[in-house]
Amino acid sequence: MESLYFLPEMPALSIAIWVVGLGVFIFVARIPIHKALQGLSDGISTGFSKIADWAENAANKIKKRDEKVLLESGVASYKNKLVDEFGRVEISFSKNLADYPGLQRRLDDYISKLEGDYRECGQTIPKAPGWNDAVTSIAKLQGSAGDRVIEKMLGEIHRSAVDGEKRALNELRNTTSKRHKILSSMAPIWKRVNKLMKDVGEKIESVMETSERIDKYMTEFQKISRQNEESIDLLSSRANRMFIATSIVMFAAVAGAVVNFFIIQLPMSELVPSADRVLGMTVSSFSALIIILLEFVTGIFFWESVGFTHIIPQISLLPRGRRKYISYISIAFLLMLSCVEASLGFFRESMAESSQATVALLSGDAARIASEQIGQNWVVYGQAGLGFALPLILGLTMMALENFIETSQHAAAKLGVLLFSLFGNLCRMASHIVCMILKMAMDILLVSKTKRA
Amino acid sequence: MSRLHYLSLLLLVFTLINSCSDSKKYEAAMCVLADVSGTYADEKKNIAKISKSKILARMKAGDSLFFMRIDSNSYNEGDLIANLTLDYIPSNANKQKLAMAAELDKFAQAKTRARYTDISGAMLNCTDFLNDTESGNRLIIVFSDMKEELKPGISRSFTEDQFKDIHFIAMNVIKLDADSADPDVYRKKLKDWENRTLNSGALSFNVFNDEDKIPEYIEQLR
Repeated sequence: MESLYFLPEMPALSIAIWVVGLGVFIFVARIPIHKALQGLSDGISTGFSKIADWAENAANKIKKRDEKVLLESGVASYKNKLVDEFGRVEISFSKNLADYPGLQRRLDDYISKLEGDYRECGQTIPKAPGWNDAVTSIAKLQGSAGDRVIEKMLGEIHRSAVDGEKRALNELRNTTSKRHKILSSMAPIWKRVNKLMKDVGEKIESVMETSERIDKYMTEFQKISRQNEESIDLLSSRANRMFIATSIVMFAAVAGAVVNFFIIQLPMSELVPSADRVLGMTVSSFSALIIILLEFVTGIFFWESVGFTHIIPQISLLPRGRRKYISYISIAFLLMLSCVEASLGFFRESMAESSQATVALLSGDAARIASEQIGQNWVVYGQAGLGFALPLILGLTMMALENFIETSQHAAAKLGVLLFSLFGNLCRMASHIVCMILKMAMDILLVSKTKRA
Repeated sequence: MSRLHYLSLLLLVFTLINSCSDSKKYEAAMCVLADVSGTYADEKKNIAKISKSKILARMKAGDSLFFMRIDSNSYNEGDLIANLTLDYIPSNANKQKLAMAAELDKFAQAKTRARYTDISGAMLNCTDFLNDTESGNRLIIVFSDMKEELKPGISRSFTEDQFKDIHFIAMNVIKLDADSADPDVYRKKLKDWENRTLNSGALSFNVFNDEDKIPEYIEQLR
């Protein structure tokens, strides 16, 4: 600074000379300065406007691309859902309709049996001997009273009639009991028929539910296919909700993975001892990380093979039998990893205890460790339990991965649009502010120019 | 799979292979120098205790520890009491620590006492051992009153990069009668050591009276 002074021994005078000199310079050169300021103002304004336009264009491009992706993925998603539902309907129909002739035959058999039984148990009252009218007529004959022959004959007839009635009554009782037996044997058949009818009802109900779902998907599919503002809003809101939900699941997955890592890291150092490092980590830590990644991968394969996600199209295209095979292998692998981690959990505690005991011995504090080890069994079981459960949970969380990937694209696009728009607006604001300042400076110069004029 | 996928895969494998490195730079090599001359000879039990609880107990896989004696002529291998480099298998490392602790206990019980104090010789000896380990963090911890008394006929000097990449801690520097009489003598003694070590390439020279600072300091170095 001092080097700029004309008279270093008198700084105040030097500054005054500078101020006066500059004043004179500005006064003399006010017109070119005014032009320069005008040019500068125009340049800055145009530059900032161009940057703002570029940012807004970029934001619009991202927005349009996001909308396109949303629509395409929405249509694809509903198509997949419909295909899945039709697949289910096909399976259900082919299975149920294949059973249906058998079911119908069984039902017909039961009904014809019931009809036969019903016919059999139709009540036919045995007729009483038809002599009563004849006996009454004979008894009314004139001169029959007191005639011993007639009396005897009538007595015989009476006896035979009573016998006949008894026989008829016995026969009626026997027939009735037989009918009761037939009727009681019909009860289980009725029950079977009832059950069959219920089965038929349930199957029809499930078909109805599926068709309702298909109806719903079709309605939404039609809405989205229109590709208007409403459908974009619908998809955007669905994507936002899904992003929040899947982010929570993914956060839980990452937190679980960290806990899992700390459970298996120490025992892995006993299993994979090495002086080398991979990506800055010890080999044991890297191995623990790989095990956790394998759990994630197994989870992805499982959900792909059961058709819940469609991240790897090659798996979705495989025949159902092979996919089932992959799902069984994935589950078996996941269970194996769980068992390995449970055993590592057990091992970890014994290693930690051993290390603590060594440190205590070296520090001369063995008594403290002995007291701390009381009730440590729960810790062992807890760690083993966590070791077993965490791989399964991590595998389970992968069901949200596909949705997370899809919706995170939308979230990133939204963030991009927001940032670009913000940047564009800031550029416009900066342009206005700079122009205002320069305009003020020009006005000052203009005033001085006018005064001079 | 497209060519781009293959290239990406190759690049990933190459990066992984390239990132596989030796862990030497993460490991620590420490050397404890125990003065057995003059009044400090009575501190052996304390030195062993601190070495076990604050250094040996906190060592990690791959770390090295050399325990050496400062006597009349410390620049010889015979003054190395015990040494270990911890195994990467934790159970083996625990056994090594216990074996080293037993050696330190033996040292504490021994009635060794030296007439002269060759601190510089011990430092030189230590440096040789530490440099052999090629560990990324090297530390010399000196348990002494820091008053050097060389035997007639022995000369010690340090080259400019003698203690390159090495940190120093002067631990538990007890005050001699002369130090108590005039604190400037004590301060000057420590300052001289600081200048000597730093001028010979040492990274730092610290004086600790609190033994709990040692593990903290080692963690900072890692």
